[in-house]
Amino acid sequence: MARITAGVASSHVPLLGVAVDQGKDRDDYFGPIFVGYDWTREWEKQQKPDVVILVYNDHASAFDANIIPTFAIGCGESYKSADEGWGPRPVPDVEGHADLAWHIAQSLILDDFDMTIINEMDVDHGLTVPLSMMFGQSEKWPVKVVPLAVNVVTYPVPSGNRCWALGEAIARAVASFPEDLNVQIWGTGGMSHQLQGPRAGLLNREWDNKFLDMLESDDDAARYIPHIEYLRETGSEGIEMVMWLVMRGALGRRVKTLHRHYHIPCSNTAIGHIVLEPAE
Amino acid sequence: MKQDIHEYLAELEDIPGTRIYTASRARKGYWINQFAMSLMKDDNRKRFKADERVYLDAWKLSEEAKQALLARDYNRLLDLGGNVYFLSKLFSTDGLSFAEAVSTMTDMTFPEYRDMMLKGGRSPVGNRSIKGGY
Ligand SMILES: [Fe+2]
Repeated sequence: MARITAGVASSHVPLLGVAVDQGKDRDDYFGPIFVGYDWTREWEKQQKPDVVILVYNDHASAFDANIIPTFAIGCGESYKSADEGWGPRPVPDVEGHADLAWHIAQSLILDDFDMTIINEMDVDHGLTVPLSMMFGQSEKWPVKVVPLAVNVVTYPVPSGNRCWALGEAIARAVASFPEDLNVQIWGTGGMSHQLQGPRAGLLNREWDNKFLDMLESDDDAARYIPHIEYLRETGSEGIEMVMWLVMRGALGRRVKTLHRHYHIPCSNTAIGHIVLEPAE
Repeated sequence: MKQDIHEYLAELEDIPGTRIYTASRARKGYWINQFAMSLMKDDNRKRFKADERVYLDAWKLSEEAKQALLARDYNRLLDLGGNVYFLSKLFSTDGLSFAEAVSTMTDMTFPEYRDMMLKGGRSPVGNRSIKGGY
């Protein structure tokens, strides 16, 4: 049987991808960010997950303003790096796990989650930056990926509660996949940041850390944080943190924290990273 | 726990210096965003750079939107329904970093903005609610 063995969350700032691609990740600016991922890179080498269910959002790359799926799952064989306006990132293609992805898609639909299914798409920094953070530069990504895209751009975006419940349903779906697979679930985006308007540049170290504390606890209070609280406290793009709740929801009630890292700033954004393991 | 949509939308308008990308903005800015999206193709970026006005004239954009795009007036574009993730294709076409483009929407120069970020960013204090003033 397939099983979810761990949950990882990380910011996915595009500039982090640039730092990796241009070998600047140990300089004075980026060093303090990347040092917080060293532990995870070592741990991933030991864990050797077969598949990562990677919860992220598309930043107007695969989806334009025309079609806006709330929850979409990539069921394809592979995905290319998107051209976000300055040419595609020089990273390997992302290999999908079509069997598991279709199994999850079908299970979720039967479990009352009306998923959008994607066969072909390019994946942007939201998906490739977390891969670079966890695996560094490589010729070939060491895992297969099931992309799970959440609309966090056009309002209303899904509630935290719905994201958490989706995570719970994903865990049930994975547990019913007959093949023996080591599966991780990653939630990406955040933490506090605002990329627009006169209030741009807002960061909130205190709130972000409170959110990390909530994810570590057995309590599921985080699922009930309303959108307006993310927006007021963590900036308009801080709403991406609802995607971390999909990851947390998939891990069950009790978790053990393996690693935690926080750094301000990276460009406009607060960097947060946490590694959790189900404890039940 | 279902929230009333009118209450929900009213709250989204109560954040200082912020335009949440609601359905009404998305409708209004549809062609601004679709235009910006076209800049993901290198060919289109070249055609746009060769003659911005001619390129813009091929899209269903109001004159106001075209002027705002030509002027790179990003706050105006947000008011007209532009979304920053779409507009970022224009930032990169211009060779501007995300942070530099974002700083043009604030009352700071880019060096001032960068400095604020290095010092921990903009505080949420006093920036959370227009009505509440907290
Ligand atoms: Fe993002």
